[in-house]
Amino acid sequence: MKGKGKAAQQPQEKDCPLQFPDLTIVNHEEECKRYTAVLGRPTTESISIEELDPLQTDLELLLASVGRRLKLLESEIQILQNWQDKKDIKTPLIKGKVQVEPPSSNSAKRGKFAASTPDDRPTKKFKDSSGKSAAPPATVSSPVARAKTKIPQVKGHDGDSVHSPAELPRVVKNECVDRFWQAMEAYSRPVTEEDIKYLEEQIRKLEDEESLYLKIPPLGRHYREVWAEEDLLEEMTDGNKVNDKRRHTNHSNHTNSTATTNGTNGTTDASSLLKKAENSMEDSPYGPLTQRIVSALLEENIMTPMDDIITDFGENVEEASAISPRMLAKQLNIGNPAALERRIQRELEEQGILEPEDDEVEDDPNDEVLTELKQAQANLKPLIQWKIRHLKDLLKNAKDQQARQQPWKKFEECDAKLHEEYRKLNVARQKKKPNLKKERESVKKVLKEWWSVYQAVDDSYDQ
Amino acid sequence: MGRSKGKSQDTGGGGGGPSGPSSSSLPNNRASSLSPAPVISASSSTTSAQADTKIKDLKKELFGLIHNIQEERDRGQHNIVNIDKTHERMQQEARVTPYYKNKLRGLYNTAMQDAEAEAELLRKALDRITEIKSLKESKRQDSKQPKPIMRRGVLMTLLQQNATTLPLWVSKPGEKPPPLCGAVPADNNYVCNKNDKIAARVKSVDGEENWILASVVTFNSQTNKYEVDDIDAEEGKERHSISRRRIVPLPIYRANPETDPEALFPKGTLVLALYPQTTCFYRGLVDEPPKNHEDDYSVLFEDTSYPSGYSPPLMVAQRYVIACKEDKKK
Repeated sequence: MKGKGKAAQQPQEKDCPLQFPDLTIVNHEEECKRYTAVLGRPTTESISIEELDPLQTDLELLLASVGRRLKLLESEIQILQNWQDKKDIKTPLIKGKVQVEPPSSNSAKRGKFAASTPDDRPTKKFKDSSGKSAAPPATVSSPVARAKTKIPQVKGHDGDSVHSPAELPRVVKNECVDRFWQAMEAYSRPVTEEDIKYLEEQIRKLEDEESLYLKIPPLGRHYREVWAEEDLLEEMTDGNKVNDKRRHTNHSNHTNSTATTNGTNGTTDASSLLKKAENSMEDSPYGPLTQRIVSALLEENIMTPMDDIITDFGENVEEASAISPRMLAKQLNIGNPAALERRIQRELEEQGILEPEDDEVEDDPNDEVLTELKQAQANLKPLIQWKIRHLKDLLKNAKDQQARQQPWKKFEECDAKLHEEYRKLNVARQKKKPNLKKERESVKKVLKEWWSVYQAVDDSYDQ
Repeated sequence: MGRSKGKSQDTGGGGGGPSGPSSSSLPNNRASSLSPAPVISASSSTTSAQADTKIKDLKKELFGLIHNIQEERDRGQHNIVNIDKTHERMQQEARVTPYYKNKLRGLYNTAMQDAEAEAELLRKALDRITEIKSLKESKRQDSKQPKPIMRRGVLMTLLQQNATTLPLWVSKPGEKPPPLCGAVPADNNYVCNKNDKIAARVKSVDGEENWILASVVTFNSQTNKYEVDDIDAEEGKERHSISRRRIVPLPIYRANPETDPEALFPKGTLVLALYPQTTCFYRGLVDEPPKNHEDDYSVLFEDTSYPSGYSPPLMVAQRYVIACKEDKKK
């Protein structure tokens, strides 16, 4: 008999959920003095009153230990029962669960056997649940030890169908853990090349866009013109549609082609129409400079010189005023009014009368849109800078992290190797091979290597 | 002190009961029915003698039970040893075969049965003890009219003894601790019995309200009032008549932390606890609940004379720690 029983939890066996509690009973000789004394008396004697109290204490001690023993036994029996029950009923469930989990080749599990999934798949056929000896150790626990958990799980499993029932409570239990780590994956997964590329592209884009956003686009055509053009175009297309409908009923093929050509030429037609409209509004096709010079040469502001010119040519005077300036210009054969305007401008500039106009459009301080635009750009600039700076930082960190992951990768590979070796050892053991020396040696070797890699990882973390 | 040496002597009265010959000289187990009392002096009531006989019988029973218990334990010991051996063997092997599992199951079941039987006997024995004690107590209460004026120290020792010998409640598997076990509160319609110990909020002569340790005398169900006696039997502090709302019954059982931790006040709970060396209850916080069945609570009493507002932790037995309903601070 040992001393006062405490429920010493012995380390869990790799396959057995039983806890093997220490069920030893109280040594009443040591602990319950009064009790022992009473026991020692022959039946002829009895208990004295003052002994009642210490006796009560002793009995209570015994009762407490019995109570504890009962509790432990009950829990053990429960575990055993669950184990038995789950053996047959729940195997398909386990199987399904197992195949759902991705192969955990980089599990950080420090179990005692390999986690290599290709080996496990065939062994996870739990059809013959009684064939525990035949099946090589299967990683029934690979669904349990999740690939993403960096927390090493000490529970290794010498798995076969016998132990899969025990998996069910554990698998169920670990579902929450799995879900948690799945959620965390986005934050804690290792940095990949893709991430780095993405970051670099973002930086580049930003730097390009900088110029894009900060440029002030030149003043385009005035919106009045653009809108007028667009409106006209719209009306044209509408009209075409109506025409098409009408002509469609008349079955004329050529109208279709006309319609299409109309459509394609729509914009150009519209712009030309507008131009015509605009031009028809103008009195004269001549540029402003030309007009100014000519008017300066005139004595009066009436357009009489034109009339004179016309009469010089001996044209029909009565009809002169009726002729539009455009027709006049044609008759006068003056040529391109725009070119004339440009020539005059050049001459004046050479003479020094007229200062060369800036080709640039001067920023009109009254242009509110422009000021707004400038302001927005001013706001945007520091933001872009900030963003670029941070992206660069992030990129640097990502690259650092990548470097740090290297030892981890190595470690995981080594881990897998170790599992493999141990699995081989177990297979050999099961086959009852007489000499396990070779396997043991290989395990030892890999173990040494593993240990050194582990140290490296550990050190790298401490930095 | 109330407890007397010797076998069945009364403290105050009873005269010459069958105190001379020790009860152990009786060879047989007498039935616990009342046997004709031997010649007793007229002053002692028949009940006292009956109680004595009863006590004797109970003691006899107890004795027998104890022997039975030990037999049971010895028997169970064998099984436990088997279980241990099986454990060892199982742990040496790499795997758990069904053979072992079945064997273990069988062994566990047997062990459970043994343990249950042992527990039964133990409980019976403890019940006997409680009966004996209560008989003695009631005998003492009835017979002595004038209460012996106990010195303070004597009273305190008595209180302490009461606390340690409060019966322990060990739940069977699946059982829940009953009301008035440790921290489990009493039922709503619980009526205290005579001589039950309670905490009562009474107004003293100088107008102060205090929670005192008292003993129940009677209960009047019509007026819902209790008559209580202050156990500190000084003059002027004796009998009070108060409504049941001012009464909190003290626990009848101690809770076993190993089997029923939920029947203990957890750390940080506000409780009313008996201040050591006094007979008054004061507010405090539980610093540490008891760890095994013999332990006491460690309580921090509210005390404005300390800078933190609380006294250093003081030990108070389970019996004298009750839940505190939020009252205005004293």
